[in-house]
Amino acid sequence: MEKNEPRIACLMCDFVFCQKEAQVPRNVNVARVSCIGRIDPVLILEMFEKGTEAVMLVGCKPPDCHYVDGNAQAEITISILKTLMSLVNVEPERLKLLWHSPTAKKSFSRHLTEFSDKMRKLASLSLKNINPDTDFLVNISAAKKVAADFRLRVLLGREKELTESVNVYGEKIPFEDFDKLLDEIVQTEFIRQKIHVLTSVKPLSVKALAEKIELKPAAVLSHIVNLRRKNMIAIDHVDGTTPFYKALEVK
Amino acid sequence: MSEKNGFEPKIIGFLCNWCSYAGADLAGVSRIQYPPNIRIIRVMCSGRIDPAFVLEAFKDGADGVLVAGCHLPSDCHYISGNFKALRRITLLKKALAEFGIEPERLRLEWISASEGDKFAAVVRDMTEQIKKLGPNPLKEMEVKSQ
Amino acid sequence: MANQKIGAVLVIGGGVAGIQASLDLADSGFKVYLDDQAPSIGGVMAQLDKTFPTNDCSMCILSPKLVTAGRHPNITVLTNVEVTRLNGEAGSFEVKLRKLSRYIIEEKCNGCGICAQKCPIEAVDTFNEGLSNRSAIYVEYPQAVPLKYKIDREKCIGCGTCFEVCKAKAVAYDQKDSEATLKVGAIILAPGFEVFDAKLKSEYGYGRYPNVVTSIEFERILSASGPYGGLVLRPSDGEIPKKIAFIQCVGSRDYQLGNNYCSAACCMYGMKEAVIAKEHTPSPLDAKIFFMDMRSYGKEFDAYYKRAQGEWGIQFVRSRVAGVTEDPKTQNLFVHYVEDETPKTEEFDMVVLSVGMQPPKNAEKLAESLGIKLNGYKFCETQAFSPMETSKPGVFVCGAFSGPKDIPESVAQASGAAAKAMGVIASKRGAEVAVKEYPPERDVSLEEPRIGVFVCHCGINIGGVVNVPEVVEYARKLPNVVFAEANVYTCSEDTQKLIKEKIVENKLNRVIVASCTPRTHEPLFKETVQEAGLNPYLFEMTNIRDQCSWVHMHDAKEATEKAKDLVRSIVAKAKLLAPLKKPLINVTPVALMIGGGVSGMTASLALADQGFEVHLVEKEPELGGQLRRIHYLLEKDSDPKEKLDALVEAVTKNDKIRVYKNAEVVDVYGFVGNFKSKIRQKDGEEKEVEHGVVIVATGAAEYKPNEYLYGKDPRVVTQHELEEKLASGAFQAKTVVMIQCVGARNDERPNCARICCGQAIKNALKIKETSPETEIYVLYKDMRAYGFKEDYYREAAVKGVIFVNYGDERKPQVKAENGKLLASFWEPVLNEQLEVEPDLIVLSAATVPNPDNKKLADMLKVPLTKDGFFLEAHMKLRPVDFATEGIFLCGMAHSPKYIDESIAQACATAARATTILSKKTLEMEGIVANVSEDLCSGCRICEYLCPYGAVEMKDKEGKTVAHVLEALCKGCGACGTACPTKAIVMGHFTTDEILAQVKAALVEVKT
Repeated sequence: MEKNEPRIACLMCDFVFCQKEAQVPRNVNVARVSCIGRIDPVLILEMFEKGTEAVMLVGCKPPDCHYVDGNAQAEITISILKTLMSLVNVEPERLKLLWHSPTAKKSFSRHLTEFSDKMRKLASLSLKNINPDTDFLVNISAAKKVAADFRLRVLLGREKELTESVNVYGEKIPFEDFDKLLDEIVQTEFIRQKIHVLTSVKPLSVKALAEKIELKPAAVLSHIVNLRRKNMIAIDHVDGTTPFYKALEVK
Repeated sequence: MSEKNGFEPKIIGFLCNWCSYAGADLAGVSRIQYPPNIRIIRVMCSGRIDPAFVLEAFKDGADGVLVAGCHLPSDCHYISGNFKALRRITLLKKALAEFGIEPERLRLEWISASEGDKFAAVVRDMTEQIKKLGPNPLKEMEVKSQ
Repeated sequence: MANQKIGAVLVIGGGVAGIQASLDLADSGFKVYLDDQAPSIGGVMAQLDKTFPTNDCSMCILSPKLVTAGRHPNITVLTNVEVTRLNGEAGSFEVKLRKLSRYIIEEKCNGCGICAQKCPIEAVDTFNEGLSNRSAIYVEYPQAVPLKYKIDREKCIGCGTCFEVCKAKAVAYDQKDSEATLKVGAIILAPGFEVFDAKLKSEYGYGRYPNVVTSIEFERILSASGPYGGLVLRPSDGEIPKKIAFIQCVGSRDYQLGNNYCSAACCMYGMKEAVIAKEHTPSPLDAKIFFMDMRSYGKEFDAYYKRAQGEWGIQFVRSRVAGVTEDPKTQNLFVHYVEDETPKTEEFDMVVLSVGMQPPKNAEKLAESLGIKLNGYKFCETQAFSPMETSKPGVFVCGAFSGPKDIPESVAQASGAAAKAMGVIASKRGAEVAVKEYPPERDVSLEEPRIGVFVCHCGINIGGVVNVPEVVEYARKLPNVVFAEANVYTCSEDTQKLIKEKIVENKLNRVIVASCTPRTHEPLFKETVQEAGLNPYLFEMTNIRDQCSWVHMHDAKEATEKAKDLVRSIVAKAKLLAPLKKPLINVTPVALMIGGGVSGMTASLALADQGFEVHLVEKEPELGGQLRRIHYLLEKDSDPKEKLDALVEAVTKNDKIRVYKNAEVVDVYGFVGNFKSKIRQKDGEEKEVEHGVVIVATGAAEYKPNEYLYGKDPRVVTQHELEEKLASGAFQAKTVVMIQCVGARNDERPNCARICCGQAIKNALKIKETSPETEIYVLYKDMRAYGFKEDYYREAAVKGVIFVNYGDERKPQVKAENGKLLASFWEPVLNEQLEVEPDLIVLSAATVPNPDNKKLADMLKVPLTKDGFFLEAHMKLRPVDFATEGIFLCGMAHSPKYIDESIAQACATAARATTILSKKTLEMEGIVANVSEDLCSGCRICEYLCPYGAVEMKDKEGKTVAHVLEALCKGCGACGTACPTKAIVMGHFTTDEILAQVKAALVEVKT
């Protein structure tokens, strides 16, 4: 592989898998998954963390999912992932979802090449984060925690049901409302997780955290209050009039 | 007597339920800080405190014993238990020397339910005094005899 | 058809007042429905951090009451409920209720909280005043009663997660609001108050400046279980403030807003918050309180004020704050005010607004559905001589809904309202209630001791200092301990359940709680173990909070070691604990009332209404006490003379009340339920009476001044003397100077005499009524016209009464020169010394304790305050009880007070007394002496020593042995200690137990 070639991962649904027949650029690793609707968003974030520059997900063209709603679920996952990626400062276009049909082998190769070309034009992830030890890794590990969060997963898992059918009270939630709510939760959780990651390295004050995450101190404090409520953070020490917080390990 | 430095005495406090124990509680409620050397034993009345309890405490290694009850003459919830304590403890104090224990190691105090500050002051003062006296001589004797 | 009375009461509002009323009713044989709009009871008191003037932890003292109410067999707690309609009349009401859906089946929910942990949606936590979030499925606070979750339907998106995770299958999304009808004989209103919306005072910047908070938010900030864990932080940046300003009277005494009244509690809570803030702040903190008048008028309040100034170094500035602005950079605040007629500005890190009390939001709706009248401020309307009565017979009121007031006033009024309600349905006592039954007691005599230890975190009260998990680990390894665990709050309702489960699961036969003080919490835990089939005396407690974590706050290591020692010591004792039986004693359903003033007469009538006999003993030749000297009222709603005559007539004519005039009680023997007293009558003859309770209503006296020429110049009189003059038409003066705080708030008597400000305003208004031209100066330290009395203060000022403030360093001077009276005083507004020539100088003389108090206190074995008033069992929650069971106090024997307050307390004692008198037998304490007859030598030392005459000698097979009368024995243990043959064993405090406890406290026992 050439040095400047972006490392790209391609995750393909079993039912459209066609690596052997297709022309695959050398910088692309193709792997099979049972259904892209079942892909763990944490896994994708981990790929970025470990140096993958771009990810392409290939699934069955709707409505052909073998698992009925897998492709719809994939769309929801992708949408959350894109929100998280922009929070992490990774261009959302580094993640691509391709609906594919097992019969169209040629077009698959073309898609791959195009994606690869496009990615080549983006700056390398490791380069664009001058200080990769802090910002990027902190962000991505916070994003991973958000993606792994039970509450978010509940909502992700229910989006389709709640927006297309009715909730437990027999009400239908408009898709836009749900999306907005989801977006808010992702943003909030991301900040909280970031505070947690940062304070697990060393105790930090509200002001220091506010500078690091570019947020108003008042907002940081209210996040700390809520982290504390979940026993995720505690006061480590008080220096003069400034309390310093340290992350608690989450059981 | 090198161990006097850094010596943390152990004090047993026999407190009556109605006045002195409540006074000790009030010290807590008012967050009045005092040294952690006292271990409180709650009894219903200072009149219940048998001189034998005090002697046993010294035998078991207490460096000091505090007996506290309701103020004389009439605060006692049981009318006159405090007078009984007064007589018993005064006599006991006189006898302590014969056992080789300084009488200052035993204190009788009247502490009411509203005297949290007094309770804390007594504990502070007693702890200081016993630190100066050093450990319970019975303990030293035991060590020597071994 | 004759109206069938119903022996049940509906109490509307589950704050501390509603809870107290419910407990008194339930303990007196009536069924109670206690309803609240909120999902749990507790009210505002549950949100408070500490309470004045004792700085007791609010939750600590409230929680046992919550739990008792929640588990009382005669109380049904109805939450999320509103009253929609009332039909019927006193004695037989039909109430329609609407119960809002929780979406949770209460019977199934066990409060485990897993639903809240898994709920994906957050909502604003209203219990924490919006300073933190909670889940959309929630309980208001950890100790909530009932501990039942609720879905916040506004926030819930209906994802169904809680349903899936709920093991108890308690979630019911299809649960609908429901209607219910209750049949009750009386209703008590205790809906409390609403906190003033500080946004309406826009000049203080609340809602715009993050570091301006309200006092109720600040309570949560101070609270260990609050958003900041008890550390005071600035909401803008999380820094610990160095300087805090407290602004008083926000939403109170405010003519522009229409809230003219004084909210009565804010001065004290403001001071308390300042004191606690200093305590909770590791770095030095300056606290400054901006006030108009410091209204610390309650019992021992001025002593607290003094400590706040001296010991705690709180600064006080007499000024109404004009406005607050913010430095946008630092978000510090500038407080703009006027002092000494000079505009000033001072910078603070944080500002706390002492917000006032408003009527509850639904007051009008409630009044309409019940058909009761509200006053001009939309609080419930009452009158001076009937402070618990609404305009509708059979519907009573207590707490802040009848006017702003603090906790003890609310509690007393609540008991008073309970007495009133009992009066309506006395004939139906016992008709609607069940007797509490415990499971049969497990015989543990053949079992090896199996000890369970429960260690309480008490939020962070203990856990913040003592390493609780370490103590638990340690306890587990102690001999005979087979179970140990930590609880966040061992006193909470769910933990009680857990303790019972653990007793069964682990076959525990001894239970230990290491937490706070047994003085408040032991009864609760004893009941819990009894509910699990254990004898209650197999329970023990050790105090690792009041006597450990709170007094060794800066030494976590030593505190933890001490806690371990204490646990080890109590475990050693527990091993030896034996079950005890509680003796039953009969109750003489008669009361002895000492004092025949308005309090004594009111209490007597309230008891007679319920069918109990009363011996009413009055020292003077006439009934009436201080009321005889009152000719008119500030409120003008009734004629005190008429009321007095009516009271005297009612008492005299009541065949249940026996009145002894010119008489005094010379001896009181016995104990709760069974007192015997001697009454010395006019002719010197002594009469012995038997009774079950004693009520002390001995009143107080007016201070006879020796200052300001009183007694030397006839033109210097007291307020009472002025009132006589005004009433008899003998008043004539062009200029009057009134001097407040004569004989009060000085070194000798540091506390406020409470009623003199009202008296001065009342008399000043009366003068203005009859002689509008008369010039009146009132020289005062603080005008303490609290509550609705503020209206009259304002009226007096509007009518031209001149109020001049003086401080201790500039006391007014009075002299007589050339036959003229001269009064000179400093006028702070004009900034000069003024001299006037009054025709009359009126001294607002303090109310001082009855000089007989000391004698009576000794006789009854009850305590007095330093000032010489009687001292109740607990200043906050037991305002009319003495620590000694069966003895109560009310009126001015307790402290100076107005007529309505005395009446409320008097009725309160009647309710408290009824909890005893209504029972045929009382279950006594099981801690008594026991004689081992084989060992007894019959020496009679114990008989001689026992102060209660509880030991008698009897013949046993030809041998004289001591015998203990259990009902008389108080368990002091004096006999056991003195017994030369060690034949007397003291229950629960045996010699073996105490020695084991001592030994283990000192020596590490090897297992």
